[in-house]
Amino acid sequence: MKNNRIRNVLKGLSFTSAMFIFQACYGTPQDFGYDRLVEGQVTSETTGLPIKGIKVSVAGDNSYYVTTDDEGKFLMYSEKFENLVVGFEDIDGAENGSFRDLFKTVEDISESVYLEIALKDKL
Amino acid sequence: MISLKKYAFRQFKKIETRAHELNYLFWECTTRCNLNCIHCGSDCAKDSTFNDMPLNDFLKAIDTIEGKAPNFTIVFTGGEPLLRNDLEQCGKELRRRGFRWSMVSNGHLYNNERHYSLLNAGMGALTISLDGLEASHNWMRNNSNSFQKVLNAIELAASSKRLNFDVVTCVNQKNINELRQIKDLLLAKNVKAWRLFTIIPIGRAANNPDLQLTDKQFVELMDFIAEQRKSKDIDVKFSCEGYVGKYESLVRDSSFFCRAGINIGSVLIDGSISACPNIDRSFAQGNIYTDNFYEVWQNKFQPFRNRNWTKTGQCKSCREYKDCQGNGFHNWHGNKQNVLVCHHQKIEKGSA
Ligand code: SF4
Ligand code: SF4
Repeated sequence: MKNNRIRNVLKGLSFTSAMFIFQACYGTPQDFGYDRLVEGQVTSETTGLPIKGIKVSVAGDNSYYVTTDDEGKFLMYSEKFENLVVGFEDIDGAENGSFRDLFKTVEDISESVYLEIALKDKL
Repeated sequence: MISLKKYAFRQFKKIETRAHELNYLFWECTTRCNLNCIHCGSDCAKDSTFNDMPLNDFLKAIDTIEGKAPNFTIVFTGGEPLLRNDLEQCGKELRRRGFRWSMVSNGHLYNNERHYSLLNAGMGALTISLDGLEASHNWMRNNSNSFQKVLNAIELAASSKRLNFDVVTCVNQKNINELRQIKDLLLAKNVKAWRLFTIIPIGRAANNPDLQLTDKQFVELMDFIAEQRKSKDIDVKFSCEGYVGKYESLVRDSSFFCRAGINIGSVLIDGSISACPNIDRSFAQGNIYTDNFYEVWQNKFQPFRNRNWTKTGQCKSCREYKDCQGNGFHNWHGNKQNVLVCHHQKIEKGSA
């Protein structure tokens, strides 16, 4: 505590804003955490069972995607947008069942969010 | 009389050294490489006889860390980290434990698919090396396709808003006159940060005169960086590699402070515990396979935290010693009787 105060005073006196921001010559810049964790599970609304193979992506950028595993679970890091829209799409046809796509807006902007998603059967 | 600024910075360094808070850890996760750069061997012990370090071995070591610092970053280095196909899994495990992670890459294998899978796995910072325009980059990298591939990688990385991305350039005889064009190229690719460094004359680099800058060229480099920093169109800086005397406030955001063993640690390919991978391997302070990593960090590292042993050779009676402290730790190799490079002296001679 006291050390931190002294540290900050000295930092101020030596007129530099970058005292705690450094990188070794052969290293990278520091990661300041501009991303957030989006994870969760996708199940069938009808049976309650997990669905494998659902494409989970951040809408607006189709390149960011993962697919759900055997337990219907997914995990990805995305940009820290407000009102992030996460898409859930059945991309494997009849394999693992057929479900309607769903797009969910995430208002919560905390470091990590857990989404429980129930997909409706395709008519 | 020294200025208040200098005095405050010296005191600040003392406090930082006493606290020695680990917040930047290199992981030399592989020594395999897909290129055969002409300066290889100068910055780390590249030896492909080592197997990649299993993720679990590394996790066991870092699980010993107590009271983790905020923004703790683990830097994947090599060899070429992208040769590991479990990098994404490694990254996710680190994030799950509350560590952030980043990577240094030659960019050769950095394609669209890998870019997104690494971002999805929580990569937050990235450094890619570009060593010149096409001919000089390919010369350095010893590969005729390297330039094209690295440009694609740079374009991809620069397109991401969440990635703290920079390009590093190793300045040498072949590219010193291309720096302006390299800068234009980086601006055209939307790169926001560019770091320039020079090479340590060890390994293959010691015998290649094309890789070393003359004293005059080194001053040219300092002038170039100082001038470009005024325009603010790209965040250009000199790397942390050494104390540059009168250029200190002109070429970097903060004054010279080699944080090796003070904030920077490493786990090297054979399990050695040290600091930056370019440091002489005889400085290893322990090994994760026989020692508790965090105990070593907390209780060892004396040569890093008390640099008085560097008061030898030309540093012994140097008037700049209090601000330089024997230059970057990586400048002490072999018998350690003298500093390998004194940037300050290069500047004095080159400006004469
Ligand atoms: S002689 Fe040593 S202490 Fe003095 S400026 Fe050069 S490297 Fe630094
Ligand atoms: S050892 Fe070298 S690369 Fe590492 S922090 Fe010191 S000056 Fe920078």
